[in-house]
Amino acid sequence: MSTLDIKDVHKSYGAIDVIHGISLNIQDGEFVALVGPSGCGKSTLLRMIAGLEEVTQGDIAIGERTVTDLPPKARDIAMVFQNYALYPHMNVRDNMGFALKQRRTPKPEIRQRVDDAARILGLEALLDRKPRALSGGQRQRVAMGRAIVRNPNVFLFDEPLSNLDAKLRVQMRSEIKELHQRLGTTTVYVTHDQIEAMTLADRVVVMNGGVIEQEGPPLELYDHPKSVFVAAFIGSPPMNFLEGTIQNGDVFKLDDGTALKLPKGDPKGRERITMGVRPEHFELTDAGWPATVSVVEATGSETQITARMAGKMIRVLVRGRTDVKAGQTIHLKASPELIHMFDPAPIPDVALEEDY
Amino acid sequence: MTSIDTSTPRRRRRSLSHGARIAGAIFISVLFLFPVFWMVLTSFKEQADIFTTPPKLFFDATVRTYTEYFTRADIPQRLLNTVIVATGAGILSIVVGTLSGYALARIRLRGAATFGVLILMSRGVPPIALAVPMFLVARNMGLTDKHITLILAYCTFLIPYVMWLMRSFFVSLPKELEESAMIDGCSRFGAFFKIIVPISMPGILSTLIFSIILAWEELLFALVLTSRDAVTIPVAIAGIAGDTETGANWAALTAVGTITVIPVVVFALLVQKWLIQGLADGATKG
Ligand SMILES: Nc1ncnc2c1ncn2[C@@H]1O[C@H](COP(=O)(O)OP(=O)(O)O)[C@@H](O)[C@H]1O
Ligand SMILES: [Mg+2]
Repeated sequence: MSTLDIKDVHKSYGAIDVIHGISLNIQDGEFVALVGPSGCGKSTLLRMIAGLEEVTQGDIAIGERTVTDLPPKARDIAMVFQNYALYPHMNVRDNMGFALKQRRTPKPEIRQRVDDAARILGLEALLDRKPRALSGGQRQRVAMGRAIVRNPNVFLFDEPLSNLDAKLRVQMRSEIKELHQRLGTTTVYVTHDQIEAMTLADRVVVMNGGVIEQEGPPLELYDHPKSVFVAAFIGSPPMNFLEGTIQNGDVFKLDDGTALKLPKGDPKGRERITMGVRPEHFELTDAGWPATVSVVEATGSETQITARMAGKMIRVLVRGRTDVKAGQTIHLKASPELIHMFDPAPIPDVALEEDY
Repeated sequence: MTSIDTSTPRRRRRSLSHGARIAGAIFISVLFLFPVFWMVLTSFKEQADIFTTPPKLFFDATVRTYTEYFTRADIPQRLLNTVIVATGAGILSIVVGTLSGYALARIRLRGAATFGVLILMSRGVPPIALAVPMFLVARNMGLTDKHITLILAYCTFLIPYVMWLMRSFFVSLPKELEESAMIDGCSRFGAFFKIIVPISMPGILSTLIFSIILAWEELLFALVLTSRDAVTIPVAIAGIAGDTETGANWAALTAVGTITVIPVVVFALLVQKWLIQGLADGATKG
């Protein structure tokens, strides 16, 4: 176990800059999730930590040791790849014991440690099988087993669950969390799925276009997103956004002329802002912001209402049931501390990419 | 895929096309196998039975040609030469070709693609254009009529062939396999030899055998570069066919031909067995 320090790391492929200076200090035993849309550089950063990509500029240290120029094998890390990369010609036992064998660990000890890891992951019955005789979920487990046998300084995960079906994904998610609580190994976990990041990590790092957009404990990102991007990315269903101008301190004038009365002014005194309210933070009232209901979807525990407000599609999530019907006009309000105000910015696609 | 189709017209059409396919397969097999069959048949005939009209399918079989030709000094020696040259060229080209194919597939190197294409293009030169200069070089170095000369000459066409086959094979393997091995404690070479080579063994062996077969049957370079000591079987066969003193001895020709073809057939069967196996099944998500 170890700390992990990333100091102003840059990465370019030829003339293309992919990572534009990232610094991150990870505590011993901390679980950090790197989250962001596809192509934002998560895998590249993880692979630089592993030593699989050269660092163009900056430094990486594991514990007290600077590893920037060391090969992967000298870093004492373990990595689980998105496609698992099991050695197809070896059975599960040899797959899991391979790293120990490379380190010339005595055979009885390898046996012992593989058995222990297999017990933790419920792989005992599969130890003699070849990877091709395993299901997707079992392969994923073997890939995890291969990592934990090592007892490395740092675990690296690159979207380890994205090839599993939804149900298995949820199950493995809690197993990974349990595993981390049990082993306490410093972990960097890459995912594009914000729910995975929120539920697993002690700290979430939101990346965008090769830089860190915001980092912090999951609920802090949920409660206090600093930009439209983070607000859109964290939380599901995503936050609703409306862009407009503040007039007379507390009137929010939308571009189509609609005026909404705000319960508070912009603390920063900006004139033009993007306002955001999470679907679950709207309340139905008798007199508030008017909206026309287009769809009502009830799941029993909650009801999602899709409505039009000032020509824009918005989502409202209410707990339990409601007698609201399509076509009806509803009135909405939100308490002042749950209304977010941002510098105006285009709403990223992630808010539209629905995957929940 | 899993639905069961019970409609009769569809089924009848399927069995019709099935029948057509079998008939096609039989036709093609006969087309290719008949000359081989005729060669084997002829090798067991006496000279008198060979040229009868109509050709005889039933005759008194004899192994006289075999015993005569394979107890004579030169044929076994030429067979041995062929074995040495073909396996030597096969092994050398598989080693060099596999390593360079891996480099082309994996190492990020400026100009690697151009380099690979150039090597492939060198195959477009007609062999006869190379054979004569090769002979001159070999003569100047005092290397004519030696096994090693022929082995090196064969490598000039085998290495590009092996390199490109192995390259496309390595490209199909996920690069995370080596990366995983490197994280687990291997160097790049270690990852190649401990993970990639074992996984690729069926492909490597098949390519090796194809290379050996190509070298085994090669005539042109052998004709130009050997004269007495290192002469191979294809040259010997050409010699028998072109014997102007006594006329072509057809029995001898077909007997030597039959013996030459046997290892090729055995090898081809081996390759088929290996190629059927899934190579890297199970490495990834599946
Ligand atoms: N070998 C490479 N050569 C050039 N560009 C690359 C290479 N690998 C990744 N990239 C680019 O770097 C960016 C970040 O990629 P990646 O780290 O894989 O993103 P993520 O894992 O967040 O989806 C992408 O725009 C990708 O096209
Ligand atoms: Mg990625």
